[in-house]
Amino acid sequence: MKIRFVSIAVLLLSTFQSQSFCGFFVAKAGANLYNKSSQVILVRDGDRTIVTMSNDFKGDVRDFAMVIPVPTVLKEQDIRVVDPTIFQRIDDHTAPRLAEYYDNNPCAPVIQYETMLMKNSMVLESSVSLMEDEADYGVKIEAQYQIGEYDILILSATESNGLKTWLVKNGYSLPPKAEEVLDPYIKNDMKFFVVKLNLEKQLDSEFEGLSPIQISYESSKFMLPIRLGMANAEEAQDLTIYAFTRTGRVECTNYRTIEMPSNREIPEFAEAHFDKFYVDVFEKQYKIENRRGVFLEYAWDLSATQPVKCDPCPTPPLVYDDLNKSGVGWVAQQSGWGDYSGQLFITRLHVRYDRENFPQDLRFQTTPNRTHFQCRYIINHPASGDLSCDGAIEYLESVVDRRKKELEEVELLAGWNISGYTNYVAPYEKQLRLKKGEDSKKGSVLPIGFDPKSPKFLLYIFLFMLIGLSVPWLFVRRLMKQYLK
Amino acid sequence: MLSKNTFSNALKDPRNIQILWLSSFLLTGIICLDWLANVSYYFFVFISALSVQILFIRVNHLPWSALKSAVITSLGLCLLLKVNQPIFGLLAGAVAIGAKFLVRLNSKHIFNPANLGILVLVLLGEGWISPGQWGNEGLIVVFIAICGLLVTMKVGRLDTGLSFLTVLLIAEFLRTVVYQGWPMDHFLHTFSSGTIFLFAFFMITDPMTSPNSRKARLIWGAFLALTSFWLSSFMQLYTAPIWALFIWSLFTPIFDKIFIQPKFKWI
Repeated sequence: MKIRFVSIAVLLLSTFQSQSFCGFFVAKAGANLYNKSSQVILVRDGDRTIVTMSNDFKGDVRDFAMVIPVPTVLKEQDIRVVDPTIFQRIDDHTAPRLAEYYDNNPCAPVIQYETMLMKNSMVLESSVSLMEDEADYGVKIEAQYQIGEYDILILSATESNGLKTWLVKNGYSLPPKAEEVLDPYIKNDMKFFVVKLNLEKQLDSEFEGLSPIQISYESSKFMLPIRLGMANAEEAQDLTIYAFTRTGRVECTNYRTIEMPSNREIPEFAEAHFDKFYVDVFEKQYKIENRRGVFLEYAWDLSATQPVKCDPCPTPPLVYDDLNKSGVGWVAQQSGWGDYSGQLFITRLHVRYDRENFPQDLRFQTTPNRTHFQCRYIINHPASGDLSCDGAIEYLESVVDRRKKELEEVELLAGWNISGYTNYVAPYEKQLRLKKGEDSKKGSVLPIGFDPKSPKFLLYIFLFMLIGLSVPWLFVRRLMKQYLK
Repeated sequence: MLSKNTFSNALKDPRNIQILWLSSFLLTGIICLDWLANVSYYFFVFISALSVQILFIRVNHLPWSALKSAVITSLGLCLLLKVNQPIFGLLAGAVAIGAKFLVRLNSKHIFNPANLGILVLVLLGEGWISPGQWGNEGLIVVFIAICGLLVTMKVGRLDTGLSFLTVLLIAEFLRTVVYQGWPMDHFLHTFSSGTIFLFAFFMITDPMTSPNSRKARLIWGAFLALTSFWLSSFMQLYTAPIWALFIWSLFTPIFDKIFIQPKFKWI
């Protein structure tokens, strides 16, 4: 009994273990995939949170301004600007990917993957002017810093009207719906982190765009305030979150966290349009989940002790420098293999939010879940060249079946209309027909699929015999019972 | 032969209905919410909970129908707790059922078995709860709530669940809508999560770990709601109800002392 139990347990474990995959990276396709999007790096360690916001504000930089609700009054050392390349680096490493397999050489897959370019969440128009009589509006400037190319104010307010008036008076134009959310934030004891550009510093900088801002604070609240960003946006916005923790996956607590469909086989022609394919897959998935939900695109254990930092690696694994820029404070630099020491886990979440379906800000929790996940799609290239060997028919049949299934998958996943792609399967069907014709001329007796040597055929024979013998046996047994009585 | 009689007899024991509902939730999760990957964990939970229960049934000469309680506890663990390694299901099941027989006072077990199993795993850093796992689909929530109502009515513990939900609803409404000024949909979103209803109707209404008297249960449920409201709103603890239940189940014997009422019997 005991042995039996153990064997069942092992079977179950092995069934649900994700299959390992080896391969290498060949090409990358960067693209601005989503219309309105932003990226955030979240680092969570105990009650400490470090948030890095990408800043690819497109427009006249003099108009750039941003308001972010934060739980505490930030000190000067809690704010810094970081190298903008960090987002690209992490994005490249974690983005949904396409893997290629060649039938004749299945151990040499080729991977292509896509990237995302993002846009800032909350932008208010502003002009440079002096801050005055804040006390009259119940607004208090808690702190004022000049960091990188930015002028930063930390405000606290007692009521939303005052804050709104103050902001407008100081040259920030507020979207009409902003008031609805300012009040709850004030009552929730949130402070307002107001950023605008210091034009002199901007001119000094060699970098063309705007640097990402990184803030850190101690608070039990582990959340991202998305409601303010919705105030001036009618349509849904995309947000990609890269979260680093010591323990494991980051999960949303007030919306469902859903794994994207992964490890699915899609047609060869999807390779050239992989960007569009993934955008469509996401769109479809988003609709299936009724336009709400947070989608998991990547989860991986990056601990120093973990030998496989990615599988396959689309880019070289993240190193100490990348982690340092992201604000991961607990890993220590070390020389030699791995470059850093300590526990580390990365989660990539993708959320498309709008006012209607996301009434609450995103709240998160860190979980001990260290299960790996990557959003991966697979294409298979059939073998080319001479197909005159014995196994050709069987192989061609498998190719025809696979390609039919791949078409169904691309329709199912991305909603593509496949009626125009009959040519995808037809040549192989034709080849198969020709092949079968040749073989029947050679004098094969049984139709294809009933090869007397195949295990399938033996199984059919066995089953027929079983059914065929069991009926008379039951009859005989009944008769015997009757007569023996 | 199945007759009307056997059917109504089966309905008499509320545990049968509870098992039916809880397993239908689990099936919904497996089919609609991609929980298939957790099946090996579910297997371990059932194996360990049932074997520990069988052990104590033999030792204490209990009727075999007591196995149903272990099935309910296992289903509760499967529905609420997530673990890193499926094998930890063995620990969760064993702790839950073990404590039921070993930690007792006045012939009643103190801790809600599933709750304790969850708590131990969360504290060990091997398990967690996904409050968002049901999504915010109205249908699932209504389904859970209605089934919950039926079962708790049958057990006569509707009071606990309703008192918990009402107090939590009022407290949350006062804080988010009246005080902070969030729009209504912000408030409703909190109560469109299946986890909270599952907890209100299937966890805290366990007749064995809630007080015996109705008056006591109403107060007990309200305290539970306030504690969990405070923990979740001010301490940002997403597992708040689990902690609140753990704390307040310690006080159940005191409630039973003050409000005297005979102990609950399943049939």
